[in-house]
Amino acid sequence: MTFESPIIEWAPLAPVLIVFAAAVLGIVIETADPKVWIRRRLQVALALVATLAAAATAALQWSVLDGDGTRVVVDRIICDRHSLIWMVMIAVFAALAILLFSSRVGGDDAFAPLAAAAPGSEEEREASEKGLAQTEVFPLALFSVGGMMLFTMVSDTLILFIVLELISLPLYVLVALSRRRRLLSQEAALKYFLMGAFASAVYLFGAALIYGGAFSTSFTIIDTAIVQYHGREALVLVGTVLALVGLLFKLGAVPFHAWTPDAYQGAPTPVTAFMAAATKAAAVAALIRFLYLAVHRFEWEIAPVLWTIAIATMLVGTVAAIVQTDIKRMLAYSSIAHGGFVLVAVTSFEREALSAAVFYMLAYGLATLGAFAVVGQVREVTKDGSLGAEATRLGQWAGLGRRSPWMATAMAVFLLSFAGIPLTAGFIGKYVAFKAAFDSGGWPLVVVAVLAAVVAVFFYVRVIVLMFLTPVPEDLKDAVEVTESTGPSLVVGITALATVLLGVVPSVVLDLASNAAILVP
Amino acid sequence: MIPEDTVVDPMYFVVLATILFSIGAVAVLLRRNAIVALLGVELMLNASNLLFVAFARSHRDVSGQALAFFVMVVAAAEVVVGLALIITLFRSRQTISLDEPMDLRG
Amino acid sequence: MTEHMNPYVPILVMIGVATALAVAGVVVSRFIGPHRYNKAKLSPYESGMEATPGAAGGGRVPIRYYLIAMTFIVFDIEIVFLYPWAIAYERLSLFGLVAILSFLALITVPFVYEWRRGGFDW
Repeated sequence: MTFESPIIEWAPLAPVLIVFAAAVLGIVIETADPKVWIRRRLQVALALVATLAAAATAALQWSVLDGDGTRVVVDRIICDRHSLIWMVMIAVFAALAILLFSSRVGGDDAFAPLAAAAPGSEEEREASEKGLAQTEVFPLALFSVGGMMLFTMVSDTLILFIVLELISLPLYVLVALSRRRRLLSQEAALKYFLMGAFASAVYLFGAALIYGGAFSTSFTIIDTAIVQYHGREALVLVGTVLALVGLLFKLGAVPFHAWTPDAYQGAPTPVTAFMAAATKAAAVAALIRFLYLAVHRFEWEIAPVLWTIAIATMLVGTVAAIVQTDIKRMLAYSSIAHGGFVLVAVTSFEREALSAAVFYMLAYGLATLGAFAVVGQVREVTKDGSLGAEATRLGQWAGLGRRSPWMATAMAVFLLSFAGIPLTAGFIGKYVAFKAAFDSGGWPLVVVAVLAAVVAVFFYVRVIVLMFLTPVPEDLKDAVEVTESTGPSLVVGITALATVLLGVVPSVVLDLASNAAILVP
Repeated sequence: MIPEDTVVDPMYFVVLATILFSIGAVAVLLRRNAIVALLGVELMLNASNLLFVAFARSHRDVSGQALAFFVMVVAAAEVVVGLALIITLFRSRQTISLDEPMDLRG
Repeated sequence: MTEHMNPYVPILVMIGVATALAVAGVVVSRFIGPHRYNKAKLSPYESGMEATPGAAGGGRVPIRYYLIAMTFIVFDIEIVFLYPWAIAYERLSLFGLVAILSFLALITVPFVYEWRRGGFDW
């Protein structure tokens, strides 16, 4: 047997390699163990430069790309316009999230000063007084970002599994690292881990069955194997359904959503913002590639399943969000519902859905990052007058418009975008997504989606009413404070502006997205 | 020594792997001890590994065996992260029961 | 031995022999071995370390055990990649060499990190 070196086109991998190199460099910095303040600055700068450089490199590749795409490794990793636009989006989301990661309120960042110390212990108090910081969060986040960017290019079931874990493992750790409410955070991480590991295992079993039926892990070969009748279609079909479970889990679709509210509520808010925006975008990208390249010939078999899941996701997300009293939990359920809305487009199996999903996730991701940035700024005031944990009870948000008009206005923009009110990005996103489904004959799905969207307006507007039309309760006058630290304010400003711009002049991005509606097999 | 041409019908392996996978899945979903749940996940991953290797043999395609290696490494990384999370939770609460530490509701 | 003997017969014989030996070892030593116990003999032996207080299921285990286990798993499993390379390195040629060297370089980074952060100070 002879061995032929695989031919790898390295150039299209550049954005991913930049991020991974920065992550490794970040660990080297940790190894050298310089003083905390040097370490922090180095890590923040490195992470920001890496994510922005990755976004720029991907954009550059888009502009010089001749044709539809490059096969990085034939039949395994494909870099086409569709993956490039997702990569730019994920890298930009990551850069914004890094700004949130690095922000400090009252001298404290969002992460535990010494993750190894037990909550409430003497060691923890000491670490906090010494001003220690767990700066490993930046390399961890970078590993996850690199994985997400790679995720959008993968067209092989096993590489998809490895990259899925590469995304998830750092996230499990990040979720556990909250500075405040650490017990909640650790518990959320354990739940997220167990359910995530379970879903990955289900995905892998599906991939193994597909390998048994199609004799390959490559999407293109699976596709041809389904056409050439081997008598093993049953294996491939069962495998496909199991593999979809794993991917839908990352998207937080019902009935695989149980981890979402817990993980979103327990995680440090910057991590929540990062997970909600970037992970979901990467999950949608990979789901599209898997559905459209590998198993689209099973459309008749899996479309009803996906329809059911999309409807259940929209309904459960919307109804559960109405009864929430915690803002982070409410946003978590709302993000579940948004996963359902984007599924409406994806299940149409039409080319239009590709650009619709890109635009939808962009609109949703920007508003999500902004909304969680605001959540991180509304703080409880402790008895000794210092700023404490985030005030996430909805009651504590009453009269926020008076405390900080700018933050409250921006939050209102994000909520309106979530609700899909015209002149915001969310409206255009919902419009293109529903249109893609409608054009392919999925009108029953669109009817449910519109109904769910109308009901959802209720709980978004309720928060706006609470912020602007409800006076500050007497007993909470001094108990809540809105800080306006630089990083998050910048993020809020950028995302609010982008949300409005995308809503008023969406054509530029829509054109880009429709140019990206090409999948190279 | 088994002769080269005796290849066991891979469907037997599918059945065995499905049984192992189900045992693992039940352990994750029903057992209340976090470490036992972690064991369940490992069992699920190894059921897939068994499938990869069995199919690699029946297809006479070595790549399936290589895939199993990658799965093993990923599984090891996953165990480490899982153990780390379980230890931190244990140190905070002195229990790793999945029933007790329940602050997250709704 | 006949040509068409079931290939599983040796495995069955193996299982039988192994079970018989294990049972015999326990039973025979119980009957013919001398019984002179003292405290040190009755305590569980754990590789020369201080014995674990209590059983694994109910009692508490020092966290250290898990830390060692984690380090072991991470670095032990990497042999999975080295082994195929070591067997076929000639055929894998330069590509294999570069791949395995970059893999080793990458695995060194977390190793040094753990060492510097005191992960090996038992």
